Amino acid sequence: MRNTNHCQNCSAHNIGNLVKLGINMENFDYVIALAGNPNTGKSTVFNKLTGLRQHTGNWPGKTVARAEGGYIFSEKRYKIVDLPGTYSLLSTSSDEEVARNFILFGQPDVTVIVADATRLERNLNLVLQILEITNRAVLCLNLIDEADRNNIKVDERILSKELGIPVVPTAARQGTGMDMLLNFIHQVATGKYVCKPHRITADFPAVKNAVNRLSKKISETYLNLPNARWIALRLLEGDQRVIDAVRNNELQDLVSERSFPKDPSDGKEQNLNISDVLEPVV
Amino acid sequence: MNEKITQKGYSIIAEANMLRWEVGENFHDALMESIYADAQKIADKAVVMLGAEKKFGFDQTLDKIVTSKWLGFPLMFLTLAVVFWITIEGSNVPSSMLAALLVDTFHPALKTFAVNVSLPWWLSGVLIDGAYLAMAWVVAVMLPPMAIFFPLFTLLEDFGYLPRVAFNMDGLYRKVGAHGKQALTMSMGFGCNAAGVISTRIIDSPRERIIAIITNNFSLCNGRWPTQILIATIFIGAAFPAYLAGIISALAVVGIALLGIFFSLVTSWGLSKTILKGEASVFSLELPPYRPPRILQTLYTSLIDRTIFVLWRAVVFALPAGVVIWLVANIHIGDLSLAQHFISWSNPFGLLLGLNGVILLAYIIAVPANEIVIPTILMLTVMTLGIVDVSAGTGVMFELESEMLTKEILVAGGWTTLTGISLMLFSLLHNPCSTTLYTIYKETGSIKWTTVSALLPIAIGFAVCFFVTQIWRLIA
Amino acid sequence: MMMENPFLMLIAGIVFIILVAIIFWPEKGIIPRRSKINKTNVRVLIEDALKHLYDCEYTNLTCTIHSVAGSLHISGNDAANLISKLEAMGLIKSSSDSLLLTPEGRSYALRVIRVHRLWERYLADETSISETEWHTIAEEKEHAISFEQANMLAAQLGNPIIDPHGDPIPSDTLQMPARRGIPLTSLKEGESATIIHIEDEPEEIYEQLVAEGLYPGVQVRMVESTTKRIRFSADSEECVLAPSFALNVTVVPIPKEEEMKEYLTLSKLKQGKEAKVVRISTVIRGQQRRRLMDFGIVPGTKITAELSSLGSDPVAYKIRGALVALRRNHTDHIFIEEV
Repeated sequence: MRNTNHCQNCSAHNIGNLVKLGINMENFDYVIALAGNPNTGKSTVFNKLTGLRQHTGNWPGKTVARAEGGYIFSEKRYKIVDLPGTYSLLSTSSDEEVARNFILFGQPDVTVIVADATRLERNLNLVLQILEITNRAVLCLNLIDEADRNNIKVDERILSKELGIPVVPTAARQGTGMDMLLNFIHQVATGKYVCKPHRITADFPAVKNAVNRLSKKISETYLNLPNARWIALRLLEGDQRVIDAVRNNELQDLVSERSFPKDPSDGKEQNLNISDVLEPVV
Repeated sequence: MNEKITQKGYSIIAEANMLRWEVGENFHDALMESIYADAQKIADKAVVMLGAEKKFGFDQTLDKIVTSKWLGFPLMFLTLAVVFWITIEGSNVPSSMLAALLVDTFHPALKTFAVNVSLPWWLSGVLIDGAYLAMAWVVAVMLPPMAIFFPLFTLLEDFGYLPRVAFNMDGLYRKVGAHGKQALTMSMGFGCNAAGVISTRIIDSPRERIIAIITNNFSLCNGRWPTQILIATIFIGAAFPAYLAGIISALAVVGIALLGIFFSLVTSWGLSKTILKGEASVFSLELPPYRPPRILQTLYTSLIDRTIFVLWRAVVFALPAGVVIWLVANIHIGDLSLAQHFISWSNPFGLLLGLNGVILLAYIIAVPANEIVIPTILMLTVMTLGIVDVSAGTGVMFELESEMLTKEILVAGGWTTLTGISLMLFSLLHNPCSTTLYTIYKETGSIKWTTVSALLPIAIGFAVCFFVTQIWRLIA
Repeated sequence: MMMENPFLMLIAGIVFIILVAIIFWPEKGIIPRRSKINKTNVRVLIEDALKHLYDCEYTNLTCTIHSVAGSLHISGNDAANLISKLEAMGLIKSSSDSLLLTPEGRSYALRVIRVHRLWERYLADETSISETEWHTIAEEKEHAISFEQANMLAAQLGNPIIDPHGDPIPSDTLQMPARRGIPLTSLKEGESATIIHIEDEPEEIYEQLVAEGLYPGVQVRMVESTTKRIRFSADSEECVLAPSFALNVTVVPIPKEEEMKEYLTLSKLKQGKEAKVVRISTVIRGQQRRRLMDFGIVPGTKITAELSSLGSDPVAYKIRGALVALRRNHTDHIFIEEV
């Protein structure tokens, strides 16, 4: 207790009313998923928010040991799940399955996407893929200091407008921008900020017809499905998890859960518990 | 209602299957292409380059230097050599301090305490001479070098130099069916094989990762260096005039380490061509930008994540091994202890390999950590010879300050120069310690690969020792 | 003390190692050989015969007892016995001059083909086994694993629809698309086409085609087509084949306006130069292909050769702001256009 008080008062951590909870995260109100490319400082962001000290290395694809932590902000308890760093959600590696399944079926209240400001274009690949499957996301534009050093300037307002989600420039190693990040997570979680996520616009000349026909059929079957076109795309790629979801009605459950506003107080059940998937190393 | 939807679901899937024939196989490609098209559009709007990209910035210049034909290799070896030098020099003093504290001070103190509270002799033997002493030894020998080596390695990693080393070494490792990052996991193995095995997580291709795991044991780990140095000094160096002795024994140890690298490459090649053909192989290697390392945080995390983590595992395994070591020396069947029975039974086989029964038994019961092999060998030799005045009692491991005295005991035990050479080879080529084996099991989740990792090096070790011994005898 | 003659011990040691090798050597050793499926197994014969009949049906050829015997490498008598067994099982029926599949026989054949092609696809995408071994291994596996296991494998692979030779994989409901394409020999001089299929039997011809660098997805342009030889360019490399070999290559012609220019490969890009990716050859498949795309290597990507490693392979390329190392065996199959 003494420790947390200390943290609240010291100038370096004077971020609103943040209380870092470490791995103590019972009775949370909101679940935050932390996604991003490998080596974007995702674990550093995680550590800053939770006060944990997960090892981070300058390595793409450094596997993490512990993946969950918690904090309190504005009197709400947040549970934050650090997903494995991936380049994409469309490939078949097990890391990507975990990340994809958690965002799609685990229904986090907010997905925070950590992107590397110095290689934004490459990182946007994952950002756009995530925005295809969730409506509530915040982009954490990390390593902004490094971008400065390399004379790269990212206009976060334009980016935010294009993506339809809040964009927060941060330098997690120095702790810059974390207060704003917390604020935006809070706003999106509580519904004060309504995202209008970008959907992939480009036409696929070769496959347009097929996609249109299938997505029409899907949206006729499942009214209110947030993104029927994405489901169609996945079916056309033969994604077994999505095929199964269509077969056993999971899709219908997703629709009904989304159409009602959530009551954050009823410690909701997760369809997928991340700790089952990510086995701790010890 | 639900059934209706299920039915509709099935018809959606049927339609999707039909359409998939139409759109063909390039669907994933087309999708990725259009995502990147969007990404590019957005990035073009949001990203402004202030001035041209620096062609000769810090990163670029440094990259040119570390990959240059003339400086690349020397820099790599120099870096590695400096890391080893700091580790060896820096750990000498704390290691002997820890040994003085844990082995020379605490151990007698505990024994005295046991006598004072009149603990039965066998209980104080099992707990203090067995479990405690094994643990104390492991901590004293393992902790200081790891606490220095790992942070240094981590600093290089954080800075971004290690991916460049992997980049440079990939050409060689590709030829043996492995990944350039294996050069790094191998270097990590010089510190500790268990940590080396954990570090293979940086290799994301299944086949190459298993290769790196199985061959990590060929890196002469920190626990085996003292054995090599001791044996090289008293059996190889001693055969030369005094002014050459030091350099010759050093060369012998380096030769063994290089032999390990050679075996790691050959084994990688063999594995990739045979039992690992069926594993997927995906090459990817990204060179991250250089970043200033954060020294304090690195010290903290590498101490927690690597040193303490590995040390804890080693201690957990050393405790029961200490008990076993003490018991085999103290449980008697007839006139002889279990250890003596095994030693006389296995001695002929040991001699065939240029070793002896004592060494074989030492490698079996000291499986948790290579650090306690020499103390166990000394204890067993003294026991079989019936010498009583050098150790603190039967089944109590010890080491001697004087190399001459060590040599006298070993020679009395029947050791020759051939025994020394064979032991050096066998110390390199034998099964990984149980800490490493457990780590391999944890990392691969497979009994099969754990078994291969254990049996392959020991088979190679037997073969190499056998042939070296026979050829030596043929010539000598 | 055991101090036997070291010379004898050396010989004994060598003999021992040779013995172990003979017994355990992968694939050719006694134990690995034993665990292989006995080829003369009845189930194997039945399934191979059905596959042969299906092949005939798919390619509109007549199937006879004679052709069955030839394809299965068995005597005419054995073939006749086999045929009558199949008829008794209701899997085939014989008309005046040819053998035909019954619906049951056809779906049995399709199941076996599905397993075979899925397994080839698995070997191609998920293992590092070379292409000349795919067919042989799949020939064994198709009889060893069940249809359900095959469906699980399909799910894992992302339900592929085409095998690595370009053949369609029957769906889990045993649907098959109609046959497409023409043999390479029918392509006229000056015309371009995309290879969609390489026949993997007989093995000798297949090995030769693979050695020439022919895979589904490769673009060819006919240079010379006579009864003696077929000369054409395949992804910019010139190839010469005997017509009997070229018959085993199926292509789909490309309309003139979509014709591709001939492109450089990425491995030829000089250090410091920039280029645009045009196409990734289908030789790069499975996880590796996806990984390259994850790194942002798709048609249209700007790519700069930035840094060469000590042995000049791999080379690091600047791709969408990131520095990514690629090996030559991949950059040889990425086509670029200099800008």
